[in-house]
Amino acid sequence: MDPTKQKIRDILSVRLKLSTAVAKWGDDDPLFGPNGLGLDSIDALELVLGLQKEFGVTIEDQAMAVKVMASINTIAEFVHAHGKA
Amino acid sequence: MGRRKPMGGDPLSHLPHGPSFRFIDRILEYVPGERVVALKNVTFGEPYMPGHLPGSPSMPGAYLLEAMTQTAGILLSAGSPAYLARVRDVRAGRAVVPGDRLTIEANLLQGFGSLHRCEVKAMVDGNITCHAEIVLSAGSKQ
Repeated sequence: MDPTKQKIRDILSVRLKLSTAVAKWGDDDPLFGPNGLGLDSIDALELVLGLQKEFGVTIEDQAMAVKVMASINTIAEFVHAHGKA
Repeated sequence: MGRRKPMGGDPLSHLPHGPSFRFIDRILEYVPGERVVALKNVTFGEPYMPGHLPGSPSMPGAYLLEAMTQTAGILLSAGSPAYLARVRDVRAGRAVVPGDRLTIEANLLQGFGSLHRCEVKAMVDGNITCHAEIVLSAGSKQ
């Protein structure tokens, strides 16, 4: 597995305490919304902080977060483009 | 960084709470959107003191956390309600007792939509009695 995606899964598992759900989650599956992992805005903030700490990437606002944090794959693409993964 | 300045008018008017549920007395320092320092003179006259605890009065930890949350709330826009969304990394030190001059310092770490993440320290005589990261939601309950 792409180490970046594994680290993203680790953030979701540890910081957001979603280890069981994340293990079954596909890289393209939605993280938010009615078919997502049931994350709320506080979880979004937690994920933003986790990505910032792990990869040094900054997600400045919710509009950007909606695009970047759509799935594990979209996060990985953002990290590859902007981070220190 | 913003410029430090004293807060004009009634600083506690930023709080939506009524006087009976205000756990800070006044603002010592205020940098809008960045930092606020509040003061609470803890006395035996607090309504909860006789019951917490008889013979060994101290400020309940939950009330101390409320005072810290109210202080952080000053950083949000005046007049708009803010709700406690998350508290993490709470570390408590010695008890806060009558006679203590409690200073509470809140620094805004990050804003994210309606969420505001703050680092808040409560101190007595320069020693930290409680430290926490507090997330407030402005304008809506989570």
